[in-house]
Amino acid sequence: MNMKTSTADIRGIATLPLLLTAAAIILLFLLPKFVTSTYALHIMILIFISVIMGSAWNILGGYTGQYSVGHAAYFGVGAYTTKILLQYRHIAPWYGVWAGVAAAVATGLVIGSICFRIRGPYFVLASIAVAEIFRVSALNLPGLTNGAEGILITEVPPFKIGNTVITDFMSKVPFYYIGLVIAIAVILATRLVQNSKLGYYFQAIREDQDAAHSLGINLTLYKNAALAISAVFTSLAGSLYGLYVGFIDPGTVLDLGLSVQIVMTCIIGGIGTILGPMIGAVVLVPFSEALRSNMIAQALIDSGLVKEDSPLGTFLKEQLSHAHVLIYGILLVVVILFMPDGILGFIRKLFASKRKETA
Amino acid sequence: MIVFFQSLISGILIGGVYALIGIGLTIIFGVMRVINFAHGDILMIGMYLTYFLFTLFHIDPFVSIVITIPLMFLFGAFLQKVFINRALNALPQNQILLTIGIGLVMSNTVMLAFTSDYKILTTTYSSSSVEILGISVSEPLAVSFAITVAITAALYWFLYKTDMGQAIRATAQDREAAQLMGINVKRMSIIAFGIGSALAGTAGALISPTYYIFPQVGSVFTLKAFVITVLGGMGSIVGATLGGVLIGVAESVGGVYIGSGWKDVIVFVLFLLVLLFKPSGLLGTSKD
Repeated sequence: MNMKTSTADIRGIATLPLLLTAAAIILLFLLPKFVTSTYALHIMILIFISVIMGSAWNILGGYTGQYSVGHAAYFGVGAYTTKILLQYRHIAPWYGVWAGVAAAVATGLVIGSICFRIRGPYFVLASIAVAEIFRVSALNLPGLTNGAEGILITEVPPFKIGNTVITDFMSKVPFYYIGLVIAIAVILATRLVQNSKLGYYFQAIREDQDAAHSLGINLTLYKNAALAISAVFTSLAGSLYGLYVGFIDPGTVLDLGLSVQIVMTCIIGGIGTILGPMIGAVVLVPFSEALRSNMIAQALIDSGLVKEDSPLGTFLKEQLSHAHVLIYGILLVVVILFMPDGILGFIRKLFASKRKETA
Repeated sequence: MIVFFQSLISGILIGGVYALIGIGLTIIFGVMRVINFAHGDILMIGMYLTYFLFTLFHIDPFVSIVITIPLMFLFGAFLQKVFINRALNALPQNQILLTIGIGLVMSNTVMLAFTSDYKILTTTYSSSSVEILGISVSEPLAVSFAITVAITAALYWFLYKTDMGQAIRATAQDREAAQLMGINVKRMSIIAFGIGSALAGTAGALISPTYYIFPQVGSVFTLKAFVITVLGGMGSIVGATLGGVLIGVAESVGGVYIGSGWKDVIVFVLFLLVLLFKPSGLLGTSKD
């Protein structure tokens, strides 16, 4: 919890991390020029969405210490606003997305002004209850949300920047770049939060609410500020998901399972760190996609470890694709019990103990 | 007016089962200060157990609780000893995530083993009803209510009259003081989690003749269990009993007058209002 990234401690510019970051960003921007596999791009887009959601939650949960397990509400509000405006009002998503952001922030401020009065486990419960109210309402307002049937739009209108008009949404490349840009923006925002006065207020609230309050920090104001920043990016992730996947319904974009997944991305990587959500996304997304698409079962059979016609082989082939949520559960239990600071914290501890041994 | 009484009665009857779920959760919270998010999934295990006892061995669901109760007690004790016990000193948020993880593992393991198809346990009396004073009452609900009352009475007797029950309540009141008085707090924790699981499992058994049985059924009941315990006051057994009946009535009456799709919203709004205006619950005493 109390870890600070090494770059943050040193005033002035640390050259190596900066160079590495620049190199990584350039590499990611050039990637679609070399990688033409749509499946690889698909995985990358899912990773970006996951990084955006995880980092957005991190600002509220990791830096301000408010464990919301109801972030699906903001994700869903973003996704639904964008798609409802596109479907029924024919407003292009490039404007609709900002309406979604505004709606999510407004929702967040209403929820925040109610839920931030309560603390600890009660806050967790309240955040879940609010998200559930949104889910059940979406199911019961078919006039607005098309109820349980959800909204399906596959046609994305052309997007104009300057003189270039982007229409090739089927190739996934535009979504790749949109995802990448938002992901960079959220990471940049996290970095700004971490090293700004605002961020110090957030972290003071996380460490000790009463002490922070006694030092004159307005708890409600700053908790709501953290929630607003968090809601902006969560809503963007929701809109991007809705446009990219094409289909949304209350069971996917407003589900409690999604809220848990958002928290998990952070917890598994390392909570309250810039790298944490990225590590979480890079670990979780490919793993669960590999399970979902039956790649792991196929690999086990191909490698000869499991015979295809044996009972175990048929079981794995038929059932393992349903197991990606099971893996989430197991990972969650293992991480909480054995590496409460996430993968990042675990690696750091490992290095620290090694250093002690050699010294 | 008859509609009102009808929904009131069925609300009270289902409220009895809710009370069992709530009491289980509140005992676990009281003794360990752990909010058990796997509670609904434990209930789901109880439902499947009942289903298979019925289809494989033709044991009536209401009779099978004799087998379900001890099995679920052992299952809960196992969960406590292997997982929860290791996280007793962790942050409350992390404990919540741990139990969410355990719940996910349970529901998805069941899904892998028995697929996510809805299963229906049909008994001869599943859809029959009895008429009392002009109000028709579902027979399985009435029987399950009677069993609930008996179990709750037995539980009260156990908690208030026996040595072990008093030791459990003492642990809930003050863990350290209880330990100083020579109470084996670790053992009480295991027993409390066992009792909580047994109660959830029993509730699952009792509703299985009237509910669809599927791996994800638990999450609805987990959320309901919280609403019930927070409403009654976290850790208060009497409060959970009252909370269960209140939620049952609110759902049933609200479902009739506002629309059945909205009944969960009513419950959650009620929950938020209690959290805001009386976070210690109707009968709870605020300690934290």
